[in-house]
Amino acid sequence: MRKMWSNAAAAAPDAEEAIVLLHFAGHSFEPQLSGALFWRAEKMLLVADLHLEKFSSFAKKGQMLPPYDTGLTLKRLERDLAATGAERVVALGDSFHRDEGTATLLDADRLRLMALLGRAHWTWLSGNHDPAPHALGGVCLTALEHRGLTLVHEPQRGAHATIAGHLHPAATVHSSGHTTRRPCFVHDNRLLLLPAYGAGAGSMNILSPPFVGLFDFAALEVTMIGRSKLYPVSTKRLVRGI
Amino acid sequence: MEATALSLVWQNPKLGLHWHCTRDPPLPLHPTITGWFATKGWSPRAHQLDVLASWNDAASALLIAPTGAGKTLAGFLPTLDDLVRRPVEGLHTLYISPLKALAVDVARNLTTPIDEMRLNISVETRTGDTPSHRRQRQKLKPPNILMTTPEQLALLLSHEDSARFFGGLRRIVLDELHSMVTNKRGELLSLAVARIASYAPALRITALSATVARPDLLRDWIAAPLPEARTDLLLGAAGAKPDVSILASDERVPWAGHSTQYAVPDLYRIIKEHRTTLLFVNTRSQAEMLFQNLWAINEDGVAIALHHGSLSVEQRRKVESAMVAGKLQAVVCTSTLDLGIDWGDVDLVVQVGAPKGASRMLQRIGRANHRLDEPSKAIFVPSNRFEVLECEAALEAVEKGAQDSEDPSLGGLDVLAQHTLGMACAAPLDPLGYYDEIRRAWPYRHLSWESFERVIDFVATGGYTLRAYERYAKLKKTPDGKWRIANPHIAQQYRLNVGTIIEDPMVKVRLVRGRGFKTGSSTGPIGRYGRVLGELEEYFIDQLVRGDTFVFGSEIVAYEGMFETEAYVSRSTASDPKIPSYMGGKFPLSTYLADGVRRLLSDPSHWSALPDQVSDWLRLQRDVSVLPPRDSMLVETFPRGTQNYMVCYPFEDRLAHQTLGMLLTRRLERARARPLGFVASDYALAIWGLGDFGGLIRTGRLSLDQLFDEDMLGDDLEDWLHESQLMRRTFRNAAIIAGLIERRHPGKEKTGRQVTVSSDIIYDVLYEHEPDHILIQATRRDAARGLLDIERLGALLRRIRHTIVHKPLDRISPLAVPILLDIGKTPIFGEARESAMADAADELMREALGVAPKSGSRFSDKATPVKDAQDVEQRGGRRAGR
Repeated sequence: MRKMWSNAAAAAPDAEEAIVLLHFAGHSFEPQLSGALFWRAEKMLLVADLHLEKFSSFAKKGQMLPPYDTGLTLKRLERDLAATGAERVVALGDSFHRDEGTATLLDADRLRLMALLGRAHWTWLSGNHDPAPHALGGVCLTALEHRGLTLVHEPQRGAHATIAGHLHPAATVHSSGHTTRRPCFVHDNRLLLLPAYGAGAGSMNILSPPFVGLFDFAALEVTMIGRSKLYPVSTKRLVRGI
Repeated sequence: MEATALSLVWQNPKLGLHWHCTRDPPLPLHPTITGWFATKGWSPRAHQLDVLASWNDAASALLIAPTGAGKTLAGFLPTLDDLVRRPVEGLHTLYISPLKALAVDVARNLTTPIDEMRLNISVETRTGDTPSHRRQRQKLKPPNILMTTPEQLALLLSHEDSARFFGGLRRIVLDELHSMVTNKRGELLSLAVARIASYAPALRITALSATVARPDLLRDWIAAPLPEARTDLLLGAAGAKPDVSILASDERVPWAGHSTQYAVPDLYRIIKEHRTTLLFVNTRSQAEMLFQNLWAINEDGVAIALHHGSLSVEQRRKVESAMVAGKLQAVVCTSTLDLGIDWGDVDLVVQVGAPKGASRMLQRIGRANHRLDEPSKAIFVPSNRFEVLECEAALEAVEKGAQDSEDPSLGGLDVLAQHTLGMACAAPLDPLGYYDEIRRAWPYRHLSWESFERVIDFVATGGYTLRAYERYAKLKKTPDGKWRIANPHIAQQYRLNVGTIIEDPMVKVRLVRGRGFKTGSSTGPIGRYGRVLGELEEYFIDQLVRGDTFVFGSEIVAYEGMFETEAYVSRSTASDPKIPSYMGGKFPLSTYLADGVRRLLSDPSHWSALPDQVSDWLRLQRDVSVLPPRDSMLVETFPRGTQNYMVCYPFEDRLAHQTLGMLLTRRLERARARPLGFVASDYALAIWGLGDFGGLIRTGRLSLDQLFDEDMLGDDLEDWLHESQLMRRTFRNAAIIAGLIERRHPGKEKTGRQVTVSSDIIYDVLYEHEPDHILIQATRRDAARGLLDIERLGALLRRIRHTIVHKPLDRISPLAVPILLDIGKTPIFGEARESAMADAADELMREALGVAPKSGSRFSDKATPVKDAQDVEQRGGRRAGR
């Protein structure tokens, strides 16, 4: 018989949640529950790894996954744009699961995406899944320098003042026998990684091998995405595992 | 010959039910077979001849008889008789067994009389182990009798020549049918039988079953595919009444826990007094624990072995053959030995821990002494005080011969999807004819045309409202309106995914040399290449942190980490494992026994049968609180420490209580009663929090009737399901069965981890966008009966409506002690996951403020709320199961 449920928040009921801020390379960012990062000073919304058209790309091989991931991801973007009032969007690569994804969009999703493109200035950075530029609208680049920061898809060791995606970071923490695994924002003094934004994208533990050597562990800050709030967590509680 | 008058034939249901006795019928057996019986000094039993009589009368038959009654021979007598008189080329009889091993064993047992009678009848098995050249040959030149399993049958039916292969089939023998019809295997089997019936007009079915609660339903189940034929219900003579008792121990029976440690010396003595004892437990970790405890006092070196589903196959086979050879004096086992062939000369069955169900107990007891005329001997050993009550209720049930087995399950759409693809692989499907065929499978008799079409759509293109995949369709319509597979590759894919048994992804556990945690966090290489102890469910491994200890392979091991696809563990010096349990083999408490427990509790005149320590406990409860009423529910409220407790006693099984706990805490939160957590057992549910539950109820600010209103199964349930990890796991199974996600195969690139992760994401996306998709429907159906047990919760809420008894107390009641002892013992699974993040966030805050970190990470035990020295001892036996 197990304790199945407990609610730490209920111990301090009705506490006003403060906005979580990430300080990185001299700038302040507001992480969103959706996985986007809002740069208020620049009115810029950063999103990584949308992986649009991921599920539909499996159909060719006979696996008919629900073709709804694109629509859900676009809906999240609509909400984030409305909530933040961002005027500029930078998609940090792997925006489409495959280059062909720009062609397989269903009509309704295409219309939705066009409307989004009309609401803000878009910059699409190329990723390993979508290396080729496309003509959907906005600007296609391989990387973007902005206010002393480098925005790019794939993080490199020894990077400096860089915001990237690619690795789909998630953290697992444990406490009193509970473990929780959630996508997260993770950064040290030099590199900030965004979680994957796409509804169909998975995630990977930041203590797993692909992350080795990217971060200075002593300076690591991890912000996990809860159901209705963000949790900046102690790195002492991080555990390995999937 | 036995008195045939004992054997009752229940005939011709179409003309109304009537009973009659068969009285000395002329022996219809062919002389060759009669002669063989004579040389053995045997004579056929009445029910064996009844099965033959049904067959000679062109009827199907369901034979219900206890173990040891010669059911299997009864099943084959008509085949032997028919083939002696009219030898045929090709397939005559198809035998389906739930276990591969059973099919092989029955084939061997049948070959002996065939050889002795020098009959020219071929018998072969077809299982996953059958080499491909023999499979090929079997298809070209089938044997007279083929022994196989439901999954292999599905594969056979998906081949293009299946109509020819089964066209001449005369008989199907379904063995241990009771064990198959309550789950998805039975659903798949029913569809397969309906298909064969459409191929083979002369077919008759004989089903063999243990005693069940509703034999009429089982009879309908086998009658459905052959609506023109009569189906007889044949009841074999009852065996001698079993001799069952409850262990009378001088030791103190603990309040809570499941280790049954107190009874170990008694059990050891009992084992030594018998030839071969089977000790059944309910979970694998209980098996491990009991095995370890028995060996700890095994000074005489009695041969005691362990058998459960996590052990490697070779290890299990070794135990089985040692047992058949009579080399073992006791085997501690889980349900892995519930079914199957006779394991030697068992003269005692011991049920350690809660019996859970009367029918299950009768079947387990039947594993002792496979002779009808002698009583089987069994002992129940309760592991805590509530289980004493449950054992007492089970004892009464067994004496009465009461049955509480589950009814056959209705058909799931995921299973139908799998079958549909298989049938399209065999030949293009004519929708109208196929729809009629499906409805001749009992579980699908009420399938609506609309659901049928949605399943076809799902198989063809995924069936999504956006209709995005027409050009990748797996099924395409031919000009004459039939559905055919788009290309041969699809048939190959189907064959890799056939079957309804979805194993939880398993991880191999390898014992290696440890690197020692006391000395610090060395990350250096550790010893590799140790032996494999067995396999564990991946989600159990996932919750472990390096250094966690648990019992496995009958020793306490420490988790070292995942290395590629294996979990490494090392021997641990710990005497008490940190992590209590891993899942496996947990059965629900039957409603029948639950009612028995409530009756026993509520009526003091029954208490004389109970041990004094238990009846004293109940008397104390009566004096300081009230006894839970039989037809309603008691709710106690009391303060304890800084918190308030609300303890309910529904006695409706842990799964239903867990679901109830989830929903109640949500409602209490809305009512501002500030709940903090809950714990559920098979008998009770305890919720604690900061609000004064008792005061709120007494002053009418919290209405128990509203709190427990059935409408919690509406929106509240919906909200919770959306987040529930249990739903995701249930979905994964349905998605694999339906073919949306590919099954894992050894050596294939996709590991279980990837499947698990992506099926969660698929579920989230599908649930959010199309909550009535057939796979979500299938998931809900499974959840209602399975992990969430919503059906039972609904029945509970209806039962207690407007009659809940509230008893405000100023301190804990005697009855509440066991459930409160469970608090903090076992965390785990699913919900509440944010609390770990909240704790980690708090810790960051403390670090920032320069406060010393709170001790009490995972490795510290939470304070146990009830401080009773003796009870605290019991924590060693922490609870197994999920």
